[in-house]
Amino acid sequence: MDFSIINRTLPILLKGSLMTIELTVFTIVLGSILGISVGLLKLSKNKVIYFISSLYTWMFRGTPLLLQLFFFYYGLPNLGLNLSPMNAAILGLSLNCGAYMAEIVRGGILSIDKGQFEAAKALGFNYIQTMLKIILPQTYRRLIPPIGNQFISMLKDTSLVSSIAMVELMRSAQQMYATTFKPIEIFFVTGCIYLLMTTVFTAFFSVLEKRLSIYE
Amino acid sequence: MNLIEVKNANKKYNNSVVLNDINIDVKKGEVLVIIGPSGSGKSTFLRCINNLESLDCGDVYINGEKVNFKNNNSKSVTNVGMVFQNFNLFPHMTALQNVMAAPVIVKKEKKEEVKERAINLLEKVGLKDKINCYPSKLSGGQKQRVAIARALAMNPDIILFDEPTSALDPELVGEVLNVIKELAKEGMTMIVVTHEMGFAREIADRVIFMEDGKILEEDIPEIIFSRPKHLRIKQFLQKVI
Repeated sequence: MDFSIINRTLPILLKGSLMTIELTVFTIVLGSILGISVGLLKLSKNKVIYFISSLYTWMFRGTPLLLQLFFFYYGLPNLGLNLSPMNAAILGLSLNCGAYMAEIVRGGILSIDKGQFEAAKALGFNYIQTMLKIILPQTYRRLIPPIGNQFISMLKDTSLVSSIAMVELMRSAQQMYATTFKPIEIFFVTGCIYLLMTTVFTAFFSVLEKRLSIYE
Repeated sequence: MNLIEVKNANKKYNNSVVLNDINIDVKKGEVLVIIGPSGSGKSTFLRCINNLESLDCGDVYINGEKVNFKNNNSKSVTNVGMVFQNFNLFPHMTALQNVMAAPVIVKKEKKEEVKERAINLLEKVGLKDKINCYPSKLSGGQKQRVAIARALAMNPDIILFDEPTSALDPELVGEVLNVIKELAKEGMTMIVVTHEMGFAREIADRVIFMEDGKILEEDIPEIIFSRPKHLRIKQFLQKVI
């Protein structure tokens, strides 16, 4: 292995990973908001609301993320909507993440005992108060493992946006490989950076899981 | 004036009749006990009073005011407290937080005032040393007493008890019944569905025997438990006592 290559390319790879982190944070925040909202809508008794929210999760879980990214970046300009690579990336990743999150949130709410809804109703809680103060807080701990999984795969999936001209970690690695022709070194280091990021994520979620377990 | 009045309550599940033209009224300070075999509609009836289930037809009046649940008249419902068979405490909150939740969140009362009242209520049900415990650390009897304190915190006009001791170990039943007896003595209006016949006889001002969604007999406890008009009630009591 040629360590001088690693020394030379590392700053560029690290710069790329900053973009990966930025994309991941945006995706997680927007995807979570979207996921919680759609998860709640999917539990609606209103058939139209149920149908629309189900259509969304069906489409975004049923097609490849790469295709969705291509559609937003290459397809939308044909409809008169020009998105920068960054915006197309965030839009595609968040919509995709939101669809998976919605199913996770819905499952979490369904796992809560019916008696909790009844107790809240008997005490006069309205729907929003019941969800925010009683039901959702109880799902947090149960949702941590599946959400942790989802966020880790989301972090890795950001590598797909390298194909729509976003310069993040994967794209930086490809560029460095193209200039140095040293695939072993470049991709090995890149892999290490991804591993480091996912490990931090995993550790964070296991701490969170312990914190939220106090009442069980 | 009657605190609660239910007129011509009817309800069906699919094709089986659960409530068949039930009429009940409860005066302020009265303790009404409903007994009867499983599946006779006792719990369903109780749950219809505070809109956990809806009636097919019939009306519920609380304080003389017709409760229109379709308009989500939640004000009336907060006047009605409920204690469940399975406690239904909020597991992510301590005993104190459970008691404080509804006054603070629903009624928007000041936290400090509610806290003082909640501590007093928990003391009243004998759990002052458990105020910071999560439900998972409490016994069944303790959980049910927290649930009673939680219902009381909303200053309800009436409390509905849905088989409050049925999920408890026999040795824990007494502590919960004592709290309910204490409330009855203080003049709290209550409707109690129970299988504890000795307890029913002791606290009831009036007893209703329900079977197949109908009220078979309604009278003071001395009559229902000693010389009921219906043979069916005699048979039932012989089996359960």
